[in-house]
This record gives sequence, C-alpha cells and structure tokens, in this order.
Amino acid sequence: MTLRQKLLLMLSLTVVGVVTAVAWTVSIRVRSVFAGLDRDQTNALVTQFQREFDQRAADTSAILDRMALSEDLRRMAFEFSNGGDTAPYLTYATPLAQAYHLDDLEIVSHDGNIISSAQWPARFGYKEPAVAAAGKPAFLKNEDMPDGSSQIGFFAVRAVAGSNPPLYLVGGNQISGDFLREFAGYPGTQIFLYRDLTASFDPDNFTSLAPLPAGTAQFGPLVDRARSTGLNVPGIVYLTRRREDSVYATAIPLKSTEGKVLAVLVIAHSRRGMVEVQNHIRAIAFGVAGIGILFAVAASLWIAARISAPIEQLARAAQQVAAGDWSARVDIIARDEVGVLARSFNHMTNQLTTQRDRLVQSERVAAWRELARRLAHELKNPLFPLQITVDNMLRARKLPRIQFDEIFNESAATLQAEIANLRAIVGRFSDFSKMPDPKLERMDARAAVYRVLALYGPALEQKKIDVGTAITPDQLIVLADPELLHRALSNLVLNAMDAMPGGGTLTISAARSADTARIAVADSGPGLTDEEASRLFTPYYTTRQHGTGLGLAIVQSVITDHRGRIFVERPDQGGARFVVVLPLANLMLAPESTV
Amino acid sequence: MLRRSAISFALLLALALPALARTRPHYGGTLRVETQADPWQIPDGLARRLVLDTLTTIGPSGAAQPALAVRWESQNADHRWEFVLRPAVHFHSGTPLTADAVVASLEQTCSLPGVTPCPWTAVRAAGSSVVFVTDAALPDFPELLAQTEFAIARQDPGGAVDGTGPFRVTGFANGALTLVANDDCWQGRPFLDSLQILPHRNIRDQWLDLSVGRADVVEVPPELLRQAQDQHLTLLTSQPVDLLALTMMPQGPLAALEVRQSIAAAVDRAALCNVIFQKQGEVTASLLPQAVSGYSFLFPADRDLERARTLRGGANLPPLTLAVPNTGATIQLAAERLALNLHEAGFTTQVAPGSHSPAPLTLRCEHLEEASPRAVLDELLERFGQNSTVTGTDPASLYQSERNALATATVVPLLWLPRAWAVGERVRDLRLSPDGIPLFAGASLESAP
Repeated sequence: MTLRQKLLLMLSLTVVGVVTAVAWTVSIRVRSVFAGLDRDQTNALVTQFQREFDQRAADTSAILDRMALSEDLRRMAFEFSNGGDTAPYLTYATPLAQAYHLDDLEIVSHDGNIISSAQWPARFGYKEPAVAAAGKPAFLKNEDMPDGSSQIGFFAVRAVAGSNPPLYLVGGNQISGDFLREFAGYPGTQIFLYRDLTASFDPDNFTSLAPLPAGTAQFGPLVDRARSTGLNVPGIVYLTRRREDSVYATAIPLKSTEGKVLAVLVIAHSRRGMVEVQNHIRAIAFGVAGIGILFAVAASLWIAARISAPIEQLARAAQQVAAGDWSARVDIIARDEVGVLARSFNHMTNQLTTQRDRLVQSERVAAWRELARRLAHELKNPLFPLQITVDNMLRARKLPRIQFDEIFNESAATLQAEIANLRAIVGRFSDFSKMPDPKLERMDARAAVYRVLALYGPALEQKKIDVGTAITPDQLIVLADPELLHRALSNLVLNAMDAMPGGGTLTISAARSADTARIAVADSGPGLTDEEASRLFTPYYTTRQHGTGLGLAIVQSVITDHRGRIFVERPDQGGARFVVVLPLANLMLAPESTV
Repeated sequence: MLRRSAISFALLLALALPALARTRPHYGGTLRVETQADPWQIPDGLARRLVLDTLTTIGPSGAAQPALAVRWESQNADHRWEFVLRPAVHFHSGTPLTADAVVASLEQTCSLPGVTPCPWTAVRAAGSSVVFVTDAALPDFPELLAQTEFAIARQDPGGAVDGTGPFRVTGFANGALTLVANDDCWQGRPFLDSLQILPHRNIRDQWLDLSVGRADVVEVPPELLRQAQDQHLTLLTSQPVDLLALTMMPQGPLAALEVRQSIAAAVDRAALCNVIFQKQGEVTASLLPQAVSGYSFLFPADRDLERARTLRGGANLPPLTLAVPNTGATIQLAAERLALNLHEAGFTTQVAPGSHSPAPLTLRCEHLEEASPRAVLDELLERFGQNSTVTGTDPASLYQSERNALATATVVPLLWLPRAWAVGERVRDLRLSPDGIPLFAGASLESAP
C-alpha cells in the first residue's frame, strides 16, 4: 500500500467516522424527540379519554336523573304501585331510550324484575342486579345482548321520582358507540376495545369503528398486562415488521366499581408519520453524510496527493540513484520538512556524483599507473634479452665471420623470439581493448561446459587435477555467443589450473536456478584473500608473477555483455568457486532488443 | 180519540223511518283497506278471497257450505268425491264456469312451487261435476276444498287472473290495488262499488290513516289489540286462527328425544302470551285450540325448567339456530324470548330472523282456514310434517292422534292467536270469516251516496 493510499484511507476513515457519528447522533436525537412528541400526543389523548370518560359518566347520571323526573314515568310508577299491569309497557323502554339518547335502558320493578328493556326486549321478567347501585354515580357495566355478545358501557341507576315502591331506571351508553367515535376524528389515532376477558387473548375480540388493521395480535402483551395489573400500560407495538406500521399504544383497563377489569380500551396512535419524518430526516442526514464523505474522500485524495507527491518524487529519485542514475534530482519547492529533505537529497546526489567523478578519476589514474607498471614489467623482460643480444651482436662484429654468423643467427633468432614475445604482449592488451560484441544465439549452456571439459581434459589430467562434474540433465537454453562463452569458461578453467599447480580437484557444475542457468567452476587451491576477492575482476590486477590481470576482467566483460553476472565464493573447505549466472533464454528479451 | 191515536202513530212512524233507513245497507262507495301483507299472496291474500271463489266455504258452524259447488257426495268410503258445479256462474271476463275450467285451475294450483301437495290423486271433469279421487279416505274433503289455495281461477290470454268472486281487479296504481264490484256475481252484487287495498303498510301508519279517515279497515295484530281497545277503536276480532309453534328438526343436535322434550319443557308460554302478546292469545300445548277440541287443557302448558334441565342432562350441544321465517318484530321478540328460555335450560340459541333455511329450531306461525277439529288437525299434522293421521272424528280419537303426534316433541304448540281488524265509523255490516278474514262482499259504507 502506497503512502498516498495510506493517507487516503486514514483521512477517509476519519471523515467517514466523524460523519457517521454525526449522522447517528442526529438520527438518535430525532428519534428521541419524535418519540417524546408521540408519547406526549398519546398521553394527551389518554388524558382526553379520561376526561371524556368522566364526562360521559356524568352525562349518563344526568340523563338518568332527568329521566327519573319524567311525568310519564311517574305516572307509570303510580300505576304499578296501584297494581297496574306491566305487560303493556313491554316496549316502552325502546322509544324512551331513543328520546334520551341512551344506548341501553331498562325499566325495572322494585323487586328487580325487568319490565321493559330497550337493548333486549325479550328479557322482561328477568332480574337486573344492577338496581343495587341505585342512586350511585355512573359506573361501568357489561350488558348482555341478544346476539350473545356483551357491550360495556356507562350505566347509572335511578329510581323514578316519587315512586313507592321504587321503579328503577337502569340506563347507559355503550362505549363502543359514539364514545369511540369521539376519538375517531384524530388523524392516525385508532381506538380498539377488547372485550371477553374470560379467555386468553384473542385478537378477534377487538372491536373498532374502523376496520381492524393487520397485526392486532401484537397488542396481546399490552392488553394482558393491562388486564393483570389494572393499570394503564403504554408501549410501542409493531404491527408488522415495517417500522411505519408501528403504533404508540396505551392499554387502558376499564373496571367495574368492584375493580374488576371489564374491558381494555386501546388507544393507538400511528407512528407512520413520525417514522416517515424520521426516515426523511435520516435519509437527508445520510445523503448529506454520503455527499460529505464523497467530498471528503475527494479532498483526502487531493490532500494525500499534495502530501505524498514530493515524497513520491523523492522515492522515485532515490530509486533512480539506486539504479545508478546519480543525476536524479527532485524539484520540490517547499519550506517544510519535505523541502528540507528534498534539498538534502539533491545535495547528497550532488555529493555522490562529485565523489564518483573523483573516484573514477582516481581509479583511472591508478589504472593507468597499473597499466604502465604492467607494461613496464612486461616489456622489461623481453627488453633485457634484446639489449644483451644486441650487445652480443655488436661484440661479435669483431669475431671471425663464421663465429659472427653463428652468433648473428643466434641473436637474430633471439631477437625474433623476443620481438614476438613483445608482439604477443601488445596483442593481449590490444585484444582486451578490442573485446568484440557478442553474437547471441540460442544455445545450451551445458554445451559450452562440455566443450571446455573436452578441451582441457588432457591438460588437467596431466597436471593431476581431478575433475568433478555436476551437470543437470535438463537443457539450459541461454542466449549467448558460443565462442565468447567458451572463452570465458576457458579462462575460469585456466585460472583454476593455475591455482592448483600441484594438482587438486576441479569441480564444474551447471544447473538451473529459478530463471537462470548457474555455472560454477571451483578449485581446491589455496583460495583467496579478502583483498583478492574484492579486486579479482579489476583489469590488470593479478596475483601471479607473469599474469596480465586481464583474464577475469575479460570473463566479467563477457558475462556482463550476456546480461549475466559473475561472482566468486569462498567455500568453507577452501579453494575458490567462480559462479556464472546467465538468464535462461525463454525469460530473456529477444536478441534484437537486447543487442 | 181515534184521531189522536192516528196522529201519535204517524208521529212514531215519522221518527222510526230515518232509523230504519240508517240501518239498511247502502250501495256504492269505495272502501279503503290497508294491510301489511301482499293482498295476492297464497293462500290468504285479501284480494284473492275477493276475486276468487272456492268450491265450498266454511260456515259459522265449521262445516262446509256450498259455494261454486252446489252439492257434493262421497263414494267409495270417502275415496271418491263428486262436486256438482253451480250453474250459470261466469268468470269476470264472461267465460262460463265449467268443470273443465275448475279442473284446469286445480291442476295448476297443484303444480305451483312451494304449495302443499294436493290431497287428491286425480281430478277430472264429469259433465257439470268435478270428480276427485284420493288414496286415503278424506271425510273432511269439502272443508279442505274451502281453503283459498284451492280457489278457482283462470288466466286470460293476457296472463291476468280471472275469477268468479264478488270483486274484480281493475288496476294497481299509486301502490294501491283497486277492485270493483262484480255486478254479475253469483252471490249477488256487493254493496260496495269498489275496494282499494293498500298493501305493505306498517301498523302505525295504518292506524294513523284510520284515525284521520284515510283508511276504513286496518289490521290490528294481537299484541296491539289491548292498545286498540284502550284507544276505543272499533274492532273485529276472530277466534284463534293462527298457531304459533316451535318446530324441532329431529336430527343433528336435536336427534335425541330427551333434548327435544327438554326444549319443550323449557318454553315459557305464559310470558309469551301475557307480555309479548298482551294476553290476547290462548296458551296451548296442543295443536287444536280449546274451543275446537275441548281437550286442550289436558296438555300441560306450564313451564317446567327443572324438568328441562334434567332432560337435557350434560349433553354437549353446539349452539342452536332458531330460524324465524316471519320477519315481524313481535314474532322475532317471541323468538328471542324463547332463546332466553332455552338459555336458562342450558341451550345456547341464536335467533336467525327471516331465515327460511332448515334449522334445528323454527318458530312458525300457521294460519288455519278450517274450523272442524279433524280438518284442522289433519291440516296441522301435514304442515308440521307429522306422519300420523287422524283416525276418527270423535274427541277421544282426535286426542289420541294429537298426543301421538306431540309425543315426538318435533312440534311444540305455544299460542293460538286471533286476527283482528279495526274499522272506521262509516263501515257497516263488515264481518269476519271463521279464519278471521273480513268479508267485504257483505259490507257497505254508511256515507255512500
């Protein structure tokens, strides 16, 4: 991962984290605020219900009080007190209830027998136990209906004024009627009445003015708690899995005067609007957050680029330097630490270039000196015989012709030999300066090894050098100039033979190593010192009395021209091992592109 | 002296003549009748009785009297009956009444859907007579033919019903059916020129119309008779002619006889009669009313809740449906009362008003036209689907037949109810038939020109 990517990731994560935290906080806060509003609204509804409840109870009592003063009823009571027949009044309660806007009304004799019932006319003659509550405030009561159901309502019991024995009126209004309708006008609010509390919770026992929504079974726990505790139980009820379908509900137990829960009224306020607003706000928050994050990522990208660009430039320059291009410079104008670093880098590369130039100059001078020393040394040896021979020839002029001729011939031969020697020396130097360009072709590197072994086998045997080989049976196809490679390997073998004048073991191996062909020539000679190992491939450096110091330099030049490398190892068991590493042909570029 | 006597006689005569003139029926005028029911409904539609005649009629004694048939005789031990038609009787269209027309009418009646199967196996014309052949001996066959469902009618090519009765249909306008007097009626022309029948009128509106003079004859249900009396309406009340009974389907939840007997014991007839029907009915546990049979008191009509509970036992019964084909509010109230009665005995009952589908329990109100005990019992046993037949005409045989029929507890007689009508002040000489239907043919209007 690059510095820019790291910076981008770090900045982006930071921004995303911050934005998410802000959005989450906004969402939580919005939900909290709306939940509070919703709760307040439902509580207000519940409070209003309680007020309406009390008002209805008072209204019922007032209606019954007014009815008890009715002249017709007083006349009826008088008739009954004088032994009048109650049968003609069988249906009297029905129009009376309508006139007084009551859902239920029963006219009950002093002994508790129903004379007339508006809600269930057929119940005449049956007992009405509610007459025991005559004169008391209105109360809740379950009233049985002809269809087998029961309706809960506010009831009051009053005796007809002046009746003796008393003629009772038991009347009331059902809660499932206009009472529920009062609340139906509140948008999003629904009122359900749960009755039939004898059995376990069954959503079919809900009644409502409006069609019951799906999922009323979810009110079960709320209703059950209200039934068991007798207290108002608020809570959020999820009718479906969608949050929009949730309601804030309060279950209100409706109790008789004895405290028995007769029914449970559920006031449910839909949270749809709140949830939709929440979702809207959340969508806006997340939208803004998303845009912010995108903007932040873009900004992070720009910032990261701004921060990392000079560092990347420095890195590229450093890579150039590492690759040997010491001319690499960074063009950074900044006053911060990166600017200091860039200036230091440029200064360092300047210093390196200067040092290298100086070193090259020093090495060049040293090389020239070495070359001069070598040339002087090499040339000095043939010059001395030449001097002696020339002196002999000069002295021989005074000798008789026969002797002169004999000496002249010998001297001429010597001169020719030494001149040839000089020419050879000059030729070797000339050869080194004129290393030909390799003519690359696909060849098996093992062939070069076998060729060298074949060439130097007798000489090695003569010098009592044992030859060990470890050559892979697989082909080692490389792009190489066979002659130059042969020459390089020959130099290495000759070098090894020189290192073992008293005999030893020469080991040649050829094997594949990863994507290279690895050829090693090891001897069991005295080995190399540290200095020798470090300067081994320096031209004109030699440890031998008559060496030119060009052999290994030529080998290195050849191997380098083949895009390979050569290095020397010093095995623990002694001797030296020269290792040539050449890239395999199928991994190399085409010859044309490499030449 | 003689002169003074003559003067006194003349004075008395002068005073008596207007009185005589006031009691003598007047021809003319239109009588307005309002009913709840369809006047053309089978079998007891008001208009049907005025337009169509039967071969026989029921007299005040309950015996059959000649109508379109002047005489009849039975042969082959009451298996073959021959009715001789009244001569010179014409339909309203002028077509003569023939035996073939009578046979065609009766055969059409028997083919009508929903009508009780005709009691004869064959009917044919024999000259001016109509011959009936029956599988069973039917000693009360003449009384049977007096039922309006066997009224003789013919359809003219236009599809209109043509009869021989004292009135004929002239039109139906503004919701009222108009009948005019048949001048050539074999019974003689009715006093009234026309009749206007306003059907489907609720009782309160009928009474209101009567009170303001827009109606002359209106219905008075039994439960309102007392109220009508309190309002001093002029009432015509029949003998009990409508039987209110609870029928039970002897299968399914009521397959067990004990369960049916339990239900029979649980019903509170007294409450129905005294409160719902305002003491205007006759509590009965028998099919025949006391006035007809004379032995009705032998069938205990009191409620026995303990016995009902004992008979019911711990049977696990599903909720029972009590069907009430009659949609009248009072009948429905009676049904709800019965449901309450049954609830006390441990039965859960649901009242189904207006239901005609078969139900375990049905509250039925059956109207009877016959008056003779045997004919009534025969008719009721047939209507209630009883297999038993009446074997004799003496009270002992009738009692035994009825007892056998009620022993199955598939029918529980509750009340016999009368039919009553309130008439306006200008209506004169209006009487009711034995089955409580006004006989408008003999009525007249006081103020008619």
